[in-house]
Amino acid sequence: MSVPQTSAAPARAREVSFEQRETRRVGRAVCYGHHGELFQGQIEDMSGRRRRCLVSLPCVSLKTEVVIRPARASGWRVMPPHKIKAQRAVELTAAVLGAPDLGGTIAVSSNIAEGKGYGSSTTDCVAAIRATASAVGQQLSDSQVADLCVRAETASDNVMFDGVVLFAQREGVVLEDYRRSFPQLEVIGIDTDPTRVVDTLVYPPAAYQWHHIQTFTTLVGALRRAFASGDLRLLGRIATASAIVNDEFLPKPMFSEILALVSAHALLGVAAAHSGTLVSLLLDPRDPALPRTIDAVLRALHALGITEVSRFRTTHGGPMPMTRVAP
Amino acid sequence: MTSHKAAALMASFRPHLIPLERNLTAAVFPLMKIIPAEFCVRQARAEGALTPDSLVIESSSGTMALGLAIVCNWYGLKLTIVSDYACDDALCRRLRDLGATVERVPAAAAVGGYQRARLDRLHEIAATERRAWWVNQYHNVCNAGAYSGVAAQIVEALGHVDCLVGAVGSGGSACGTAKFLRVLFPDMRLVAVDTFNSVLFGQPDGPRTLRGLGNSLMPGNLDHRMIDEVHWVTAAEAYAATRDLHRRSSLFRGGTSGAVWLVARHWAAAHPDATVVCLFADDGTRQAHEIYDDAYLTEHGLWLDRLPAQPLIVNGPEAAAGSWSMFAWNRRTYDAAVAQHA
Repeated sequence: MSVPQTSAAPARAREVSFEQRETRRVGRAVCYGHHGELFQGQIEDMSGRRRRCLVSLPCVSLKTEVVIRPARASGWRVMPPHKIKAQRAVELTAAVLGAPDLGGTIAVSSNIAEGKGYGSSTTDCVAAIRATASAVGQQLSDSQVADLCVRAETASDNVMFDGVVLFAQREGVVLEDYRRSFPQLEVIGIDTDPTRVVDTLVYPPAAYQWHHIQTFTTLVGALRRAFASGDLRLLGRIATASAIVNDEFLPKPMFSEILALVSAHALLGVAAAHSGTLVSLLLDPRDPALPRTIDAVLRALHALGITEVSRFRTTHGGPMPMTRVAP
Repeated sequence: MTSHKAAALMASFRPHLIPLERNLTAAVFPLMKIIPAEFCVRQARAEGALTPDSLVIESSSGTMALGLAIVCNWYGLKLTIVSDYACDDALCRRLRDLGATVERVPAAAAVGGYQRARLDRLHEIAATERRAWWVNQYHNVCNAGAYSGVAAQIVEALGHVDCLVGAVGSGGSACGTAKFLRVLFPDMRLVAVDTFNSVLFGQPDGPRTLRGLGNSLMPGNLDHRMIDEVHWVTAAEAYAATRDLHRRSSLFRGGTSGAVWLVARHWAAAHPDATVVCLFADDGTRQAHEIYDDAYLTEHGLWLDRLPAQPLIVNGPEAAAGSWSMFAWNRRTYDAAVAQHA
């Protein structure tokens, strides 16, 4: 994974700007990515309706910027050309905002690898939607962005929200708003299969059984407690429980070996990406033994032959960019 | 009944979490069995086993019957309950008002007691009624599987939990709640409360005065490998503890809750650094004329001047007799824990 160092960005901040260019404006927006999911599952209400939902593990070192340069002619040219979901998001947004004839160039620049579970396509779409709104001089609420995003790419991560939410990624609706920002966690990120990419749209969603869904009910109750009280240990246990269930459906290479590190080194827990190959070891940044623990975990990963390792803090981390770690 | 209304009604049956001691919280259920009743019916409907023209049938001495009667009434499902003398006239009237048919078997079976007699009658009904769907709370995995919301509520209120104390009858509430809590807290202790002459943890079957816990038959929902400690409590002890709980907390509960209170209070005092949760399954109304009547208790030899401060520690189920006894089950299978002492 090659992630350039970026300056510490304010967590989940939206950066939307525009400048006058002839009669249309140039629209510009940034969206930050995530390092897989802290929690992912499916919950059921009494009528039996089931909804898939997730909480992302934010990573402000990962970001996408989209610049929209309107042209006189209609039709879009997207750069790089394979960012078709971003183009679809721009077209939908322009139509919704009453500018269906808008056209021009869409420049997507991102340091986020695709198909790994960093939410690259959602960050592309969110930045594209906000940049389009900016280009036509309008603003969209987070929920409107979520709605457009799901329409553009079928299922979205919750990177469009400033605060922590339990997000139904297929309906694009917030199921629970925890009304706070994500707590700071120290993360050791692992790409368990550097050669593999997962297409979110092609990969079938996990066919959870009723007992999985009941387990998620308990975990969602625990999430409320963990976010409300800032209980990082509980947050880690929730992530681990979610990762264990989901490994039945999208197995990660070496998952059990990585899981064993959690108890061996008294880590908070392990989180896994719902699509893609990422696994995150979660550590308490307030732990005085943190540097020693990190060293020990990195050595253990190296001994397992795991070389694609990075380190970052979720948010509010100060000058702590995502760095690739040489074993 | 719309599902929206049903959800609001179910929310009214959520347990209240009441702090009883510094490190002990009780989950106090208005009607615990409505939780498995609703979930078993919901799952059976989703799987197609239960259709609008089905006849729901179940063997129950009381609270499962009431839970099912409420749920079946919501959904317009026919219900037949096979019960016995323990289903008193007031409860029967309530069940019938909700549209249920109630049958009471006249006598206990030679082996397996009233439970066996009820099941025999239930199988007769199932054989003649083609559309019968048996809830089967003792073996239906959805009974234990129903308690994820209870676990969610406990974690949301308390965070980390070190010990759960619950009475065992079907095994649903104790093993179900513990299973979901252990997804987060694998080291959490599970303390089971039973009564003498119940087969659940290796006692010989026999007549039992204390109702609402214990069993003459072995239920599939009891997973012995989850249990850390077993306590057997007498009816007299459970009733005295029920009264003690009432005087201290004003919680008006039944004998099962009293037995759990006796064990949980002791466990919490012995482990002051642990966060302990106990499950109070039964409300006091049905047994008020017995447990809360001094003359009745004296007359039936159930009066106790003083509660024992701690259990007798026994090294096997057969050694437990006479008064509150504890056996370290240590998450063994039934055979491993009982055979060793047989």
